[in-house]
Amino acid sequence: MAVVLLPGLLAGQAGGQKRFEVDAATVGEALRTLPVADLVLDERGEVRPLVHVYLDGERERDLETPVGERSRVLIVAAIAGG
Amino acid sequence: MGVTLLVGTRKGLFLVYGDDERRSFEVEGPHLPGWSVNHAIADPRDGALYACANSWVYGGTVQRSADRGQTWKRSEGLGLPEESGLKLASTWHLEPGHASQPGTLWLGGEPGVLFRSDDFGTSWQVNDAVLGHDTREQWSPGAGGLITHSITLDDADPERLWIGISAAGVFRTEDGGASWQSANAGTEACFSPENRFPEVGQCVHKVLAHPGRPGRLWQQNHCGVYRSDDHGASWERLDENGLPSGFGFALALDPADPDTAFVVPEEGAENRVTSNGRLGIYRTTDAGASWELIVAEEPAWAAVLREGMSFDDEAVYAGTQSGHVYALRHDEVVEAARHLPPILSVEAAAWQ
Repeated sequence: MAVVLLPGLLAGQAGGQKRFEVDAATVGEALRTLPVADLVLDERGEVRPLVHVYLDGERERDLETPVGERSRVLIVAAIAGG
Repeated sequence: MGVTLLVGTRKGLFLVYGDDERRSFEVEGPHLPGWSVNHAIADPRDGALYACANSWVYGGTVQRSADRGQTWKRSEGLGLPEESGLKLASTWHLEPGHASQPGTLWLGGEPGVLFRSDDFGTSWQVNDAVLGHDTREQWSPGAGGLITHSITLDDADPERLWIGISAAGVFRTEDGGASWQSANAGTEACFSPENRFPEVGQCVHKVLAHPGRPGRLWQQNHCGVYRSDDHGASWERLDENGLPSGFGFALALDPADPDTAFVVPEEGAENRVTSNGRLGIYRTTDAGASWELIVAEEPAWAAVLREGMSFDDEAVYAGTQSGHVYALRHDEVVEAARHLPPILSVEAAAWQ
């Protein structure tokens, strides 16, 4: 099972849970299984512009990229705002 | 009866409890920490709280709490249809539906969109007539974006309501939202070098229908303060009757007196601070024929945003971008809260 890790604000919207084990073949599938999928992805299913997704330590922009059984998907908020 | 002020800020929602006399206040919060709360309401029909909670990273949401803010549930499936070519950027204003329509709420958002929920905010349906309005190409965003920020109902007719969109103007429906007509006759687009009185394109900052007098509306616009007595078919300009400026955002009414209204003028579009170095609330009690100044704070270079003022039967409440909340009851001003994050909205509610 791949693991998805959420930052604090998203975890707050997921009942406080920061770590999710997901049964997913791709990065997109992993994100869509989350209870906060609507916050990570917009109404077209695209990653929101200021959400950065890392797969096993590398920035990943392609939702079709496969994930492995032991992959770690990290969601990071871009440095923005005030 | 006491009051609960729902104070939306750039860093969460605060509840400010006031006593019967509006002299003593207590601050609770923040709820929804980290979220920018453009607006929050307590539905008078069931006491539930709703908040337009926004994140510059995670977008616009609506959150509902049935336990006075202790837990929140996010609405599902909030977004715009692909064929519109638009995406929902943020949520701005919530309005409980008519008393005869329990479970119905209205939601305004960016870019110039309106939603309706008939299941207590669990899900939302976009209003197609606003989304596809035949004047949409003439709309342009103001400093806050192309936002639907005002939704005001006609208590006498559940099929009639008005919305305000910056900068598109005021629109009225008389068929429950199936169609919308512009309601801007007599309001100026003073920033337009071409046509100063167009059908649409006015920069309405806030529009409110008086709950007690059918047909009476008040409007704080980018270009003046106006009143309508014919459901928005025409507007009379009022700021030249004693206000230091026609520019401002906030607007409050007196539910017991349709001739009374409150505004907070600012220097102007290029210098958005309260006029004359003071936080002044201006009140009319003669339908806008004259205005009197009530000084809340001096010196002050404050600003009260479009959702930053509210009212109940007892008092008017104003929250500033510098994080202070004031209550005005009769002629007495009391500081209700200080040093909150920048205040985006204030709503007054009585607990059931």
